Amino acid sequence: MTAEPAAAKSSLEEIRAELARTKLTASTMNFVVWIDDITRRDWILERTALLSDKHPSLTIVLDHTGSCEHGVVRSGEQAEPVEFTVQGERVQIDASCLDAEMVLRYVSALIKPSVPTILWWSGLNEDSAPIFYALLPLANTLLFDSSGGVADESTLRRLATFHAKHPHVILRDLAWLRIRPWQDMIANFFDDPGDTNDVFTIRRLFIRSGSDAEAFYLGGWLASRLGWKATGRDAFTDLARATVHFERKREGEVRRVHSICLDSETSWYHAEVTEDPSVVRMWVEGEHAREPRLFPLAAMDNASLLERAILEGVTADEIYETALNSVATLLG
Amino acid sequence: MTTTAQPGGGVAVNPLRKGLATSRITDPCNIVFFGATGDLMKRMLMPAMYNLRLGDILPANYGIIGFSRSDDDDDKFRDEMHKSIDEFSRTGPAKDPLWSDFAKHLSYVSGQFDDTACFHKLREQLEKNDKELGTGGNRLFYLSTPPSLFAPIIDQLDKAGLGPHDNPAGWTRIIIEKPFGTDLDSARALQAEVEKVFDEKQVYRIDHYLGKEPVQDIMALRFANVIFEPIWNRRYVDSVQITAAETVGVELRGGYYDNAGALRDMIQNHVTNLLALVAMEPPVSSAADAIRDEKYKVLCALRPFESGRLSLDAARGQYDAGSIAGKPVPGYREEPDVRPDSNTETYAAVKVLIDNWRWADVPFYLRSGKRLAHKVSEIAIRFKSIPHRLFGDAGDALDNNTLVMKIQPDEGVSLRFNAKVPGPKMHIRAVSMDFNYGTGFGVVSAPAYERLIGDAMRGDATLFTRWDAVERAWIQYMPLLDKWLDSVEDGFPNYSAGSQGPPSSDRMLAMDGREWRKI
Repeated sequence: MTAEPAAAKSSLEEIRAELARTKLTASTMNFVVWIDDITRRDWILERTALLSDKHPSLTIVLDHTGSCEHGVVRSGEQAEPVEFTVQGERVQIDASCLDAEMVLRYVSALIKPSVPTILWWSGLNEDSAPIFYALLPLANTLLFDSSGGVADESTLRRLATFHAKHPHVILRDLAWLRIRPWQDMIANFFDDPGDTNDVFTIRRLFIRSGSDAEAFYLGGWLASRLGWKATGRDAFTDLARATVHFERKREGEVRRVHSICLDSETSWYHAEVTEDPSVVRMWVEGEHAREPRLFPLAAMDNASLLERAILEGVTADEIYETALNSVATLLG
Repeated sequence: MTTTAQPGGGVAVNPLRKGLATSRITDPCNIVFFGATGDLMKRMLMPAMYNLRLGDILPANYGIIGFSRSDDDDDKFRDEMHKSIDEFSRTGPAKDPLWSDFAKHLSYVSGQFDDTACFHKLREQLEKNDKELGTGGNRLFYLSTPPSLFAPIIDQLDKAGLGPHDNPAGWTRIIIEKPFGTDLDSARALQAEVEKVFDEKQVYRIDHYLGKEPVQDIMALRFANVIFEPIWNRRYVDSVQITAAETVGVELRGGYYDNAGALRDMIQNHVTNLLALVAMEPPVSSAADAIRDEKYKVLCALRPFESGRLSLDAARGQYDAGSIAGKPVPGYREEPDVRPDSNTETYAAVKVLIDNWRWADVPFYLRSGKRLAHKVSEIAIRFKSIPHRLFGDAGDALDNNTLVMKIQPDEGVSLRFNAKVPGPKMHIRAVSMDFNYGTGFGVVSAPAYERLIGDAMRGDATLFTRWDAVERAWIQYMPLLDKWLDSVEDGFPNYSAGSQGPPSSDRMLAMDGREWRKI
């Protein structure tokens, strides 16, 4: 650990003094949260508080949503302390005027070295990139939400690019976790022994969703499981070199999938949210026809998704990473 | 994993299932519940079926048939089941359109359990379901009736052509609720009836304790970690305590319980199954019979009770009036359907030894009782004392390390060890390191019946009890059962409701220089 610069020293001493007053707990992780989107600030703070209350953790919230007076960014040579609050084991630091080096100083001085560090990067601001890359070496797991702030593919594209450059960083994306019930439903179509082989003859995939990320993830997941290779944004070739058309339509509530159609050589597989948004109707037409069945759609709230992402541990998710690689190929 | 035959003769696996948490039942089937209007069906079995459906575990083609004596019809049965789900389902009330979709698969057959004509009606309903619901001739029968009806039902199934040998097109399995017999002779007699119709691989003897998530975690803890197995033996373990304590009394089961008692109702099956899981050798694989073979070996190694030591190695109790959570409760003999001079034990504790290389001379203390201070089911592994007391006076207070597997409530694992209290003096105090399932994984465990019914539908018998194990357990406990049956316990009732149990149980451990963990 390098010596703390004067700028950070007084603040850190105060923060440590406050932390020392808190009841002794057995923290199982460092939870570092970056906020630079004022419109989502309160939402993120609320979820962070819920999680840190439930799971013993040292939580460090880096709030970059305030304005920096006179446009002065504090660096290591400037000795003005930052504003902060400490509540239990939750530290909230006003990072609005801190540069990457200073943010790193604060975080690395405060985190507990013996437990994993999870970095929830809710940042959309390109200006935050230097801070992101400064904190990255501290993180065991990186949390994103590709459809958290945008409906288009832009965040997912950045994530896919990042993963290609940093394949060893453990990633969790809430958009990926949102499609789990749909993965189960699609798998359900092909569970019955008489239907399984039909999965290898899919020729068209059509997804309606409120955000692009979920649709691309479903396409990427199917591609990775079935050995499809992307030949552009809208098509794959399968193992038999036949073309699989990939069509998407963005409509309806964001961050939700609304319907899926899979066309095989012999049958049409449908799953569609009913008028009741918590129920999905599934049916099959053609050779493998199946009467409509209804399934509950376990739509988890974002706090639950975050919790799941955290509890899944700090090992790589091979299925996710292969799907993300397929997405990267699709997005070019 | 879902597999299917490929045209070339190979087997294709559904490639989309990899990495998904759900393990679906792929065979279409009918499940028939005998005793379908009973309490178990309403509280546990039907909510379990509904949640299996909600969780997408059931196959696309399934039928659920209730069979009971009540003069109901399909509609009334559906109404009753709807109410039971509303009241008891862990996922909340059943709502349309999901309920209507589920209800289409429910039907009811009213009939006597010894009337062959009624079983022919059942057969007609099964064949109708095969045709209309596509259930493919696969049948799972669930006996949730009083035990006296098990043999007659099996006999009638055979007479009506519903046994497995009359159904070559599909599979036929049977789940038998506990108790499997009331003693060794009756268990063997029941087994003789079962064997006439079913092969052992088609029989699923249910012990719902084995379906509880923390019970399954015993194997994970032992065999998925490297740190426990080297110390899991007589060299390091001082003793093991297995507790299944309840705060409830006999409730509406007085008639049954007064002829059973704690030894039959809990120790002989649930608690002994836990003992086998804790004490067994590592199985060669995770296959059902590999695990059940090892459990059976443990039961074979149990040292028989010596007739001259029964009063030293076992203790029994019966609860008197007292209070639970501040509320007064009646004594056992004042409970409905209980004889006013009943000699039945509501508390049983035994000390057993396992005569094998791993566990020689390590006592396993088992106890179970009703109307005790708290509801606790746990396994506590108490390790030996340290060989040398380095810390002088500070060491006098050292606790033995204890690993506790908590089955209910607060499912989890706790390790108790000694640590230095911060300060200038070397003062040692015991502390706990706790793992809790709820917070550790962020999910609530599904009830045992969901897991077990799903496993039986898949044909996975791992968590069910094999006949040889049932028989060995009866052989072990028969001397004690006979002794307790033949001798009236003058001191009954001998513990107050809401207490830790009878003093005789404490004396049993005190003679070994040990004491029970507090309930």
